[in-house]
Amino acid sequence: MACNLSTCNSSGCYKEYEEKDQNNSKTRAAVKGSSGRQNLCVKCKSSEPVCCGIGGEDSRFCKDCFKNNLYGKFKQAVTYNAMITPPDKVLVAFSGGPSSRVLLQFVHEMQYRAQKNYDASKDKSLPVFGVGVAFIDESSIHSFASKQTEKAIEDIRSIVSNLAPPLKELFVVPIESIFSSDGIDCKERLQKLLGALGDVTGKEDLLIHLRLLCLQKIASENGYTRVVLGTCTSRIACYVISATVKGQGYSLSADIQYVDSRWEIPVVLPLRDCPAQELNTLCSLDGLKIVEMLNGPCSGINGLVSSFVKVLQEENLSRECTIVRTAGKLTPFHFNRIPEIHDSNVPSATRRHHRRHGLKSNGSLSSESFCAICNSPLKKSNSSESPQTSDPCVAACSSCQFQILPKDPSLMEQFVSLLPRAVITRAKHGDRGNVSSVREQIQDFLLSDEDDEV
Amino acid sequence: MHLTLEFGGGLELLCESVKVHNVNVDMPKGADKLTMKDLLAWVRTNLIKERPEMFIKGESVRPGVLVLVNDCDWELSGQLDTTLEEKDVVVFISTLHGG
Amino acid sequence: MEDDTKPKKPGTRLCCACNQRRAALKRPKTLEQICRECFYAVFEEEIHQVILENKLFKPGERIAIGASGGKDSTVLAYVLSELNRRHNYGLDLFLLSVDEGITGYRDDSLETVKRNELQYGLPLKIVSYKDLYGWTMDEIVKMIGLKNNCTFCGVFRRQALDRGAALLKVDKVATGHNADDIAETVLLNILRGDIARLSRCTSIITGEDGPIPRCKPFKYTYEKEIVMYAYFKKLDYFSTECIYSPNAYRGFAREFIKDLERIRPRAILDIIKSGEDFRIATSTKMPEQGTCERCGYISSQKWCKACVLLEGLNRGLPKLGIGRNQGLNSDAKEDIKKDGRTKRSSSGLALHQEIGMWLNGRETKGDVFLFDIHPTKVFQIEGITQIVLNTWLMGHPPKSIVLVHIVS
Repeated sequence: MACNLSTCNSSGCYKEYEEKDQNNSKTRAAVKGSSGRQNLCVKCKSSEPVCCGIGGEDSRFCKDCFKNNLYGKFKQAVTYNAMITPPDKVLVAFSGGPSSRVLLQFVHEMQYRAQKNYDASKDKSLPVFGVGVAFIDESSIHSFASKQTEKAIEDIRSIVSNLAPPLKELFVVPIESIFSSDGIDCKERLQKLLGALGDVTGKEDLLIHLRLLCLQKIASENGYTRVVLGTCTSRIACYVISATVKGQGYSLSADIQYVDSRWEIPVVLPLRDCPAQELNTLCSLDGLKIVEMLNGPCSGINGLVSSFVKVLQEENLSRECTIVRTAGKLTPFHFNRIPEIHDSNVPSATRRHHRRHGLKSNGSLSSESFCAICNSPLKKSNSSESPQTSDPCVAACSSCQFQILPKDPSLMEQFVSLLPRAVITRAKHGDRGNVSSVREQIQDFLLSDEDDEV
Repeated sequence: MHLTLEFGGGLELLCESVKVHNVNVDMPKGADKLTMKDLLAWVRTNLIKERPEMFIKGESVRPGVLVLVNDCDWELSGQLDTTLEEKDVVVFISTLHGG
Repeated sequence: MEDDTKPKKPGTRLCCACNQRRAALKRPKTLEQICRECFYAVFEEEIHQVILENKLFKPGERIAIGASGGKDSTVLAYVLSELNRRHNYGLDLFLLSVDEGITGYRDDSLETVKRNELQYGLPLKIVSYKDLYGWTMDEIVKMIGLKNNCTFCGVFRRQALDRGAALLKVDKVATGHNADDIAETVLLNILRGDIARLSRCTSIITGEDGPIPRCKPFKYTYEKEIVMYAYFKKLDYFSTECIYSPNAYRGFAREFIKDLERIRPRAILDIIKSGEDFRIATSTKMPEQGTCERCGYISSQKWCKACVLLEGLNRGLPKLGIGRNQGLNSDAKEDIKKDGRTKRSSSGLALHQEIGMWLNGRETKGDVFLFDIHPTKVFQIEGITQIVLNTWLMGHPPKSIVLVHIVS
């Protein structure tokens, strides 16, 4: 069992004196190991433990305590960051994998409890937040038998309908619908766009971005106020490493916070503190049905990073947490919190929370500029020093320039024309002032690039 | 086929600390040419005496091992598909050892 | 075949810079294929530009090149003396080597450095652990075994380089850290959660507040190119892994970087860029620097790390100071805090000695010792797991280190 790794690994772990934190779990594990193991849940001390958290021997929980512990992390993330408040309508992104399955379960339980409180209350003053579920169907990209997709969607329908009451709306939306407002053949357009990309990693990253845009679209069109993602600690750990590898050190801290309100509908990550291993354990303990993954495994840089992190995690069970903790020390951006609400409907408790946890409004929003492709904040590169750069922002971050935009300038216009309108309109307004269009920005960037070569 | 193989940057330690090997490598059965891919397999069986994982990963050299065929980076000649000829000199240098 | 006219292999192409000679390598930085002569030129020119842009040296400065005899420092010595001549830097260059006292490794590599001294005409200074500390690494390993020996070596080398630099009266030390090394360090600092080091490790000049600043002229130079350069120029370097280095954990990161380079060579520079761009609040500062009461070296503690380690060695308690166990120093802090007096009842050192004696006297396999308050580290003495609990981290009033618990 994975949880025993920490104790049996008696040699080779103590070499590096710098590795202070991650050995803690081993420490305590070692104490227990030698003091004779009490075969009881470390929490309630009454039931027999059935599983371990990533703390190894140190966190041998019984089923109930394990679940409560995990739910506690979720709940804490939700309340401390004001992710979900009673008037909200939240859209849960559901891929069918273990993380989003647990997410869906937890959001449901939270809603169910809120509903019970509501039913029991006299004045019915606090409404119950609404929950919708979105499944992005990517079968047009991956060549799956349509039967397989149908089966998966059928499973998803049954999972969602079994989580009622309260009733949840389900949206099954093909990824290519991101083009639907453009009035063209969506499928063909998507394939053309992805086909224009030479870099596998770039293709994957663009797809992740399109997926998020798609969720935004569903949320926006159906009156949702939050997009909830099941991004867990392990995923964030991988993201931290791969963003570093892609040269996105500056924008990295924007993407790994609990809250990201760069988007029209704020995106929240309530499972940020839950490692994949624990989520998988909960799924098997609770018999939560996992829908067979419809998306292929990562390749390219992302694939290399996930196997690297996997090896590290096997060597030390708290490695992913350490990685996320390191990245958590980087300074977040002003948009990494729920925007201040001036609505008197907001319960004062929520506002108190905001204050207590330092989520104070940042009066003067710094004028951040964003990558035209991936929407990551751009580092203001010596623009103050060189006044001759009249263009207030470079079009795309260096990572997108390399792995997404075409190398050949003559292909640029065609590439931009393939992008969904959502990308282009987002680039048009927002914090970017009066920038006319992505197209122009990209042209500008091209010119400046050529200037350099001269 | 007569080839000169050189191991450097610490790789010589994997073949009994001998840096230069003059060898005679047979063509693979039924083939009319010898590629780097064939040579690597031959080296792995015939020259590497210890810790082969320091030299080979999968069917290619371990990342971080530089290969030169007649003093030319094998990345220019097609890596594993590089065809070898009589009296070629193949150099393997590890970059992984201390600096 | 179109290559019939050419003497060599299919795929033989011309240099993209001069368009005349046969290309000899593919540059990882630019993916250009380039001939040897053009490679030498761009390789040297890029380093020259890095030196200029970052103002690494000033005319008239005395510069020590940290020389291990390995590929990086050998190429650095060669290129720096070449550039110094070519561009009239006006630098006095020296080779500075540290002799750790490792038979079969350092003695051989020092022979290489001695040859470099003659080949490049650069004066060489060797400082040895034996002279500075009274111990060779061979002797240390004999005493403490193979675990933790890298801790000793790392701490001692850092200080030895500074001492050697002071003896040479140089203004700066240039080291051969290359782009691959720096990318690897960025990753390692993320993996181990060291935000303070993460914020500093990509600086091209470090230690400007310390006694002697260090700089890395190869910060943007790929390891592949350094090795190619050394190979083509037939530079004389020594390459063997340190015989005492277990190289396991660092190895993962190293291998990862090489895997990355294979699919995306620019990833190495991208990691360095990330390292430079991380949004790290400036308040994430290093502990304030003072000087070691014993040897005068910079130290944030009462004694510098080398003196703590040395004390342990000399007293036969080699684990002293390993594993962030700040026993000695935390006690010292307490003494200072308590109305400025420096009287101590039971010093950390004495306690370590006590534990050490106690350990030596019995069969202790599987026993566990706890002392101090907050757990920071486990380590092992002769196969016995020790748990160090430590107060100073949390800002609690430090307590004397006490043996809290023995479980059998």
